[in-house]
Amino acid sequence: MASFAISNLPFSTTRRHPKTLTPSPSRSIQLRISRPCVAAKAMAMRGGGGVAKFKGTQRRERLLTEMIEKKVLEATEVCEGNKDSDECKVAWDEVEEVSQAMADLRRRMENQDPLESFCSENPETDECRIYED
Amino acid sequence: MAICTVYTPHALNTHLGFHQKQHHHFLFYTRKHNNNNSRRVVNNSEISCSADADKTVVIGLAADSGCGKSTFMRRLTSVFGGAAEPPKGGNPDSNTLISDMTTVICLDDYHSLDRTGRKEKGVTALDPRANDFDLMYQQVKAIKDGVAVDKPIYNHVTGLLDPPELIKPPKILVIEGLHPMFDSRVRDLLDFSIYLDISNEVKFAWKIQRDMAERGHSLESIKASIEARKPDFDAYIDPQKQYADAVIEVLPTQLIPDDNEGKVLRVRLIMKEGVKLFNPVYLFDEGSTISWIPCGRKLTCSYPGIKFSYAPDTYFGHEVSVLEMDGQFDRLDELIYVESHLSNISTKFYGEVTQQMLKHADFPGSNNGTGLFQTIIGLKIRDLYEQIVASRAAAPLEAAKA
Repeated sequence: MASFAISNLPFSTTRRHPKTLTPSPSRSIQLRISRPCVAAKAMAMRGGGGVAKFKGTQRRERLLTEMIEKKVLEATEVCEGNKDSDECKVAWDEVEEVSQAMADLRRRMENQDPLESFCSENPETDECRIYED
Repeated sequence: MAICTVYTPHALNTHLGFHQKQHHHFLFYTRKHNNNNSRRVVNNSEISCSADADKTVVIGLAADSGCGKSTFMRRLTSVFGGAAEPPKGGNPDSNTLISDMTTVICLDDYHSLDRTGRKEKGVTALDPRANDFDLMYQQVKAIKDGVAVDKPIYNHVTGLLDPPELIKPPKILVIEGLHPMFDSRVRDLLDFSIYLDISNEVKFAWKIQRDMAERGHSLESIKASIEARKPDFDAYIDPQKQYADAVIEVLPTQLIPDDNEGKVLRVRLIMKEGVKLFNPVYLFDEGSTISWIPCGRKLTCSYPGIKFSYAPDTYFGHEVSVLEMDGQFDRLDELIYVESHLSNISTKFYGEVTQQMLKHADFPGSNNGTGLFQTIIGLKIRDLYEQIVASRAAAPLEAAKA
């Protein structure tokens, strides 16, 4: 098991907020030490209500947003000619599908601490130990 | 747990029952001593192993609101206990949800054409030509019989069909999607079916709420999207209403004139009469017609208030009972008051509906009929499941007595 000084970590070490070590109303001081590889993945970006997002999630969000824009433009173009054509229907159906995927992603991200689901399964790992003084 | 009964041709009438874990097969030989020769023969007795108690209960839900992550599903799985989550360690874009007792599979996984395929052929996802009903039937039947299957995954982000995932038979399987009742073979496998019927005005209002904040969308694009899908929806999805055992119809409210925000809703729970093991919810007395405004002296409600009605009716040629709620709940005591006056809601204790609604107070629809009726249907399904399990356990006892 690697040991490392807290001061070496480039990122904040609390689980919920970048503000360090303020006692939260529900629990006493919690300290979670992230392994460097996990810490590298989780950028402490303030998006979606102050929750840290993984790079993968951000990428996905961006991808879906771009897809929505692109597909809406496509659909408007295709339907300019003939509103009742099959191509028009399929194009708007794709818009709907991607919009729904985006809505699902947003809902999942709402109150999700990326570490939460992992820690509920593996509370004994380094990232998930809770120290209460 | 399967109970096997051995019937011997002789009048011995020995009943041998043994408990058997799923998928284990025991070969059972008996020695029958013939008077003439001492040759060992396998007793020509009939072993009928009914793994009925292991058979999965299958529920179908027709909804146009995406898959497996909808509010209805989350409420339903919560009634059975535990949160439903995507399978761990699998494809992160899986549409499946698994909890202790239930597994929810998304019927979009049975698309035969992926996004490019559909574009080429010029069919929408609503079109039955884009779906493989044979595979759907085979796999749902297999799961119902207790056999695990490798179900394909349709990735909504990439629009491709991903490698399959293993689905083990759960106690309750819910198939959710656009076409659960389209194919007659699949329909026959369903123990209970629900159709979520959102009216056009409400659908428009909800899609605006969902999409307006997204870059790329505008009011026109949302409107165009709904209108373009409407013909296929009306042709292929809507007719499934007639086969459903319960329809939840969501309409704009009648309490506020000219309301088009879709915030206050009128929700009707249409329950088919005569469905095995399903007793419709009623107000005051079954089969009578009632209109009820709970707000008054005992209960003070804020604008626009709450209005209930209950009446028998016909729906697509079937006898149904319709329970309707218009308005919204503002306070906890309104909910409790209403719950105490509903009958046949299959709760295990007083206040269970309220408790379930409070547990998910952040879900959309928690303050109106959508949340209320979804929760009640969840409880009715739990009741249905328990009755099925009880009746299967009782069957071998009957055989023993015979």
